[in-house]
Amino acid sequence: MTTPARVARPSGASLSDFADQIAAQAQAAQSLAQVTEPAVAQLQLIAFRLDAEEFGLPLATVREVIRVGDITRVPQAPEHIRGVTNLRGRILSVVEIRTRLGLNAAVPGPRSRIIVVEVQHRVVGLLVDSVSQVLKIGVDRVIPAPDEVRSEASDHISGVAHLDQRLVILLDLERMLFAPNRAVPSPS
Amino acid sequence: MDSGNAFGDLTQDYIAECLPLAEAVTDAFLQLERRWREGDAEADSVVELKRTLHTLKGNSAMMGLRPMQIVAHALEDVCARVVADIAARKPEIAALLIEGAGLLVDQIRGAAESPADPVRAEGFIARVAAALAVPTPGSRDVPPAPEPADRAGLRLERRRSERPDAAAGGMIRVDFRRLDALLEIFGEAMIEQSALPEVYRRLAARCGSCPEIGELDRVVVALRATMKRLESALMDTRLLPIATVFARFNRLVRDLAQAERKQIRLVTEGGETLLDKAILDRIGEPLVHLLTNAVVHGVESAEERLRQGKPPEATLMLSAAALSDRVIVTVVDDGRGLDTERILAQARALDLDVAGGADAAHGLIFQPGLSTAESVSHVAGRGIGLATAAAAIHALGGSIEVRSRPGRGVVFTLTLPLTLAILRSLIVEVDQERYAVPLSHVAETVRVQPNTVHAIDGRGVAMWRGSAINVTDGGALLGTGGTHSAPRNYFVVLFSGPRRRGLLVDRLVGHQDVVVKSLDPSLGRPDVVSGATILGDGRVACILDATGIVAQREVAQV
Repeated sequence: MTTPARVARPSGASLSDFADQIAAQAQAAQSLAQVTEPAVAQLQLIAFRLDAEEFGLPLATVREVIRVGDITRVPQAPEHIRGVTNLRGRILSVVEIRTRLGLNAAVPGPRSRIIVVEVQHRVVGLLVDSVSQVLKIGVDRVIPAPDEVRSEASDHISGVAHLDQRLVILLDLERMLFAPNRAVPSPS
Repeated sequence: MDSGNAFGDLTQDYIAECLPLAEAVTDAFLQLERRWREGDAEADSVVELKRTLHTLKGNSAMMGLRPMQIVAHALEDVCARVVADIAARKPEIAALLIEGAGLLVDQIRGAAESPADPVRAEGFIARVAAALAVPTPGSRDVPPAPEPADRAGLRLERRRSERPDAAAGGMIRVDFRRLDALLEIFGEAMIEQSALPEVYRRLAARCGSCPEIGELDRVVVALRATMKRLESALMDTRLLPIATVFARFNRLVRDLAQAERKQIRLVTEGGETLLDKAILDRIGEPLVHLLTNAVVHGVESAEERLRQGKPPEATLMLSAAALSDRVIVTVVDDGRGLDTERILAQARALDLDVAGGADAAHGLIFQPGLSTAESVSHVAGRGIGLATAAAAIHALGGSIEVRSRPGRGVVFTLTLPLTLAILRSLIVEVDQERYAVPLSHVAETVRVQPNTVHAIDGRGVAMWRGSAINVTDGGALLGTGGTHSAPRNYFVVLFSGPRRRGLLVDRLVGHQDVVVKSLDPSLGRPDVVSGATILGDGRVACILDATGIVAQREVAQV
């Protein structure tokens, strides 16, 4: 950077003149940055499917995506906990997010995955039908969930992202994992 | 952030170094008090104690912990007086020393959590000043200046000689979490190793006998033996003498006895007995309760003891001893014993089963709601109840028993496992689900014969060793959702304390040492499962909470 040389205080100029000069340069630098970088903040999401619907989670919360191994049922566990699985010697709780969202319990298939997330310093796995891709979208593409999505499960939805022809439903993980299970009546 | 952690580490180091010193000082003062009360004005140990206090003062000053610094300084002043003046060697002065040392212990122990309370320290110093009846300028304003050269030299020399063993044996201090991490890795190795015999069997079945198979067999067997040795070496690193728990009880008993106006002497034995730190961390509370109970309810006042021809001073004995893979801890008092009639009356009021002799009746004191207190004192109801103490011991896979003789006293016997991390267990299968049952809670496994289990009032009952026990279906208890048309093949007799219950299962898979892993809080608090483990095939199995199952009130239908 050559900036220091350019703003070297000219001899004879008053101190306040010097300050104005610096402020003007800072402004110029800022407008330049606005040209080269997008105006809105970007959101990185991991997208996955439950039935035909596409959902998204902030990528920052995701630790890894693993294949579905043996899941051991835990007696007396809450309904939305499918069980526990062995994650390289650690015991990982697996959340059945389908029932949390009012869908039927999953039948794991070859494309099923467990998304391992860390929320509030706790690590849990989310059982999903398939993981599609990592998306980068501007925050201005996200709107609050429209009324037609506001179902019994809307408590767990933080918004909807429009992406060309797609709609990606953004989940509020903290609420989904830690809120009492009141929105979703038991399917059975 | 980093500097905060570094400071936290420093504080931990400070606590680790100074807490044992402060506790040792407290114990020494307690002994002095006893001597002085008996008229023995010996004070030889005080010179050494004064040095220890000086170290405490120095370390506290280094950490900027002024309350500890000034308390240690005041104690030094009292010690100086005691050394110089034989008239000062009296119980009141000893009480002052004990109070100050106790204050130090409390403040040091709490150094990590909260800033030390300067008010208590100031109050103590005021009392010291009054007791010494001389102005104590030093205690108000401790000079942070360096020590005179000769004293500093003395301290340095002492520091060097402080831990001769440590220097010679290459002792290091390790964060306990690192040992936990080691154990976790060992557990993974054990799981992988436990898969080997099965792979070997399959391989042998396919290839038949050949030299390589024989060699593999030898390697598998040798590896298992080595893993056993590794386990016991690893366990050794987690063991600490039980004296680390006993250390705080001297002052507890003394303070309680004083508050109750009783004369009680606490004797400890077997402090060198080793236990897993994870267990030591969890037996303090139950022991505090047993000792409190003994002081408040068990021991009589000096006058009453004299009337009964007992020495006025009661003896409380706390001892520990290793017995194969268990540790036995006993709490013995020579007080009035349990009031059997009173217990029975209370038990009837609570609608408890009161059959059996006096010993059975005494066992009822571990029932929730039953109280051995004659009157509600300010101590009773503080801390945890006997039922909770017993539950804590049971939860560790231990047991607690009581024996009492009227007028002679009460004996509590605690049996504890050596370690919690690795569990000797029986693997059972219920509706294709596998569970680990802690062997420490298995009395027997019984093959179910036709007509072994009877349904009485919708409850399963079986005769076992001459008495009827409740039998619960494993599938119903664990909610397997399986519809078993064929009857279960076995029942496992679980016990916890005096309670027993049979659990019907399909298959006994075998014995296995499993590494205990805790369940995530998101799983709620199941009362039939205490944790989980990973089996040889990599699958997770839940560990049954035998204590919880045995204690369940409503019995599932067979």
